[in-house]
Amino acid sequence: MALLPKNISFSRQVLPVIALLGLVFAVFFIWNGLPDRELSEPDQEPPRATGELAYENRVAGAGVVEPSSEVIQLGTALSGLVTDLRVQPGDFVEKGEPLFTVDTRAIRSQLAQANSAIGEARAAIAEAQAAQSTASRQLALYRNVDDPAAVSRAEVIRAEGDVSAANGRLQLARARLQAAQATAQTARTEIGRATVRAPIAGQILAVNIRPGEFLSTMGGGGAPFIEMGETRPLHVRIDIDEEQASRVDLGASAIISPRGAANSQVKASFIRAEPLVVPKRSLTNSASERVDVRVLQVIYQLPEGDSRFRVGQQVDAFIPAAKTADSE
Amino acid sequence: MIWIAIRMLTGDRQKFYGLLFGIAFSTLLITQQLTIFVNLIERGASGVYNVSSADVWVMDPVSRTTDVAYAMPSTALDKVRGVKGVEWAVPHLRANASVRTKDGDLEGVAVIGVDDATLIGLPKSMVEGSTDVLSQPDAVIIDDVGTTRMFPGESPIGERLELNDQRAVVRGIADAIPSFTSTVVLYTKYSQALRYVPGTRNRLSFVLVGAADGVEAKSLSDSIEEQTGLKAQTRDEFARDGVQFIIENTGIPLNFGITVLLGFIVGVAIVGLTFSLFIRDNIKQFGALKAIGVTNGKIARMVAAQAAMVGLIGYGLGVLGTVGFIYGFSNNPTFKGFYIPWQIPLISFAAMVLIIALTGWIALRGVMKTEPAAVFR
Amino acid sequence: MSKSNTAQPAICTRGVTRDFPAGQDTITVLHGIDLDVKAGELTYLVGESGSGKTTLISIMCGILWPTEGEVQVFGTDIYHLSDTELVNFRLENIGFIFQQYNLIPAIDAASNAAVPLIAQGMPRHEARERSIEMFDKLNILDQADKLPNQLSGGQQQRVAIARALVHEPRLVVCDEPTAALDASSGRRVMDLLRDVAVAEDRACIIVTHDNRIFDLADRILVLEDGRITHDGTQMPEDH
Repeated sequence: MALLPKNISFSRQVLPVIALLGLVFAVFFIWNGLPDRELSEPDQEPPRATGELAYENRVAGAGVVEPSSEVIQLGTALSGLVTDLRVQPGDFVEKGEPLFTVDTRAIRSQLAQANSAIGEARAAIAEAQAAQSTASRQLALYRNVDDPAAVSRAEVIRAEGDVSAANGRLQLARARLQAAQATAQTARTEIGRATVRAPIAGQILAVNIRPGEFLSTMGGGGAPFIEMGETRPLHVRIDIDEEQASRVDLGASAIISPRGAANSQVKASFIRAEPLVVPKRSLTNSASERVDVRVLQVIYQLPEGDSRFRVGQQVDAFIPAAKTADSE
Repeated sequence: MIWIAIRMLTGDRQKFYGLLFGIAFSTLLITQQLTIFVNLIERGASGVYNVSSADVWVMDPVSRTTDVAYAMPSTALDKVRGVKGVEWAVPHLRANASVRTKDGDLEGVAVIGVDDATLIGLPKSMVEGSTDVLSQPDAVIIDDVGTTRMFPGESPIGERLELNDQRAVVRGIADAIPSFTSTVVLYTKYSQALRYVPGTRNRLSFVLVGAADGVEAKSLSDSIEEQTGLKAQTRDEFARDGVQFIIENTGIPLNFGITVLLGFIVGVAIVGLTFSLFIRDNIKQFGALKAIGVTNGKIARMVAAQAAMVGLIGYGLGVLGTVGFIYGFSNNPTFKGFYIPWQIPLISFAAMVLIIALTGWIALRGVMKTEPAAVFR
Repeated sequence: MSKSNTAQPAICTRGVTRDFPAGQDTITVLHGIDLDVKAGELTYLVGESGSGKTTLISIMCGILWPTEGEVQVFGTDIYHLSDTELVNFRLENIGFIFQQYNLIPAIDAASNAAVPLIAQGMPRHEARERSIEMFDKLNILDQADKLPNQLSGGQQQRVAIARALVHEPRLVVCDEPTAALDASSGRRVMDLLRDVAVAEDRACIIVTHDNRIFDLADRILVLEDGRITHDGTQMPEDH
């Protein structure tokens, strides 16, 4: 203890001070070292029920946005190369507006062929008519000769034969004309079929074909050629777990928010509930569809002109629960 | 008189330091072992505490802890969202996977899939990078202790891993408390995690729930259980479940209990013997004081003062030692997140008080029994 | 009690008997001691080992209960006081000089001598000043700051005397003060005791069997087998 001043005792003064400082330090250290287990608010807004639903009974579901007409996947009636593509994704089209055309050259040549067959048939008719009139006149001439010696019986019979042959040729030629005309009509119809037109007024959602591609009537590669639907207004199809289905207040409006933008919520009005309860399609990120859960699908109409919702987008929905369903 | 008592105590250096050592060692042993014990078993709850924003965890009724969980169908999320008082609910996936490192080694990892949109389920803070990196393709965030295990001495940022034949790129390091087994943890988006974990039918391990303002977590978990038929635990309950699981399935409590008991016994033995010797050495002085006219009460106060001084200094040094130990090892990944729960110094203080009171009382009995008349013999 | 009342004896014992249990039996150490000790005198209590003088002195200064009999110290019936009152009575009125001094080794000489004052509740520094005054009287002023184990036997004896007198007790009890000292030191201590301890209203009892100092007594009481066999100013011839 020689290091210390004489009147300071190591055991009586320094040690207690060290111990005391140690305790103070320990309190400080322990206080600061306590783990931060405070609950914190999430940085990003998670989907949540708001307004009157926040503290009410409700049913939640996930769903996708779809056109009010549902998605129409257009095919082609004829196989062939795409020669003309009239629309782009996003275009609004009227009913009957042509969308694309497949190669019609083969059909057009058939038409031309039919047309020439018509000409040929017409010529044959004219020729048959001429032959018939000639034969008719000759027969009439023979009939008008009263002198039986002047015209032999054989002559008359030959002339009668000529007339009926000419009549037959004329009928044949007429039949050929009709056939050729029918062929031409068929070709024209085919040409019309080669152009695919909008079945309803709506918006083009996807175009999966490009000019020059070959389209098969069997459908190609899985993807539909053109998808369209009426997007004014949009609908959402909400999946509700069958166990929860009985709780849903069918007819009430739902609160819908797009995935990832939970704070932009809209009110969607009820359209209908699908009569068929179907196996759940994976909408909540599950990898496969091998899920033994069935869902009731309920359709709601989104307000018009809301640009935040797009067809195919996933949404979260909160629907009020039926008052009677909850015993509370 | 207290002054005299303190002088008497410190006058006998050997015994004074012997007493201090006994108390300090015993405090150190009890405090430090209890601290390590508590921290070790709380590793069972680290998975819960790492998620800072969930009030309630919803799981399959058979799930027990964050690591022992049975997956639910994905509609469970919507069931939970439909419960009154649920402010929000997000999916949470926890699964084990094998990862192939660039050396070709296979390493077991825990894959944690957090909600795609909100990233709820990530630890509160990051060591490196920000949570936004998860929006990059194939991005995963590794935990800091996992970094030291999987990439010792190098930065894992940008490292490519192979998970279930999928590419994963480490883009960030999270500041997380490791699990009991210190498994490497990879955080990724829920949708991504589904690809990284080999497919089973149901994948949703947990639904994390935030309670609406003014809704008690406990009552919310009750109503979730009632309405959905799933198991809902509040954060604290679920953390306790994790701790309970460790306690039930390991020998840790017994081992540490034995050590703590040994610390107590050593403390009683050293302190008791030394204090008794000290009092016996001074019994003549105490007798003289009694004869001169010091009441038994004052004598008791003197002995109490001696015991208190030894106890306080020894306890202070012991706690200081524990703090020094925890502080010294705070950078070691094994001790990552270790802290001294404030209850433990109080427990060891109580133990010290018990030791001191016990030995002091035994010693004091000797003094009390001394007849003042003995001074004339 | 007023100080002028010198006629009253300082200590007055009546029929003091003391038994000690010894296995099945009891041994009677004192047999009905009737004794008056006057203030202002140096009283010797002399006896062989086992004569009961230690028991008698213990009873007279209030640290050992008699089996029978009464003890009055300056008019106070001390064994009718409560425990705490008795302890405080000792603290106020009696000074002790033990054979082995029983100094506290951890505190210095002056503080050792100040112990009775400190025990009375006097602040430490004031008590120490008072004890240093007493050291001055005892000519050991230069030893005040030393620890007991740094002092010689005689010096320790003086510190013990200082401790016995520092609070100015009315009764001083001294157990074998010269047993550990050689003849000349013994006489010097006794001279000192006569000088400082004996006062008009103070009784001073010295327990001893040291025949070298018998001539310094004012009164000698001889105790044999628990009975007072001699009471005079000189030792009887047969001793």
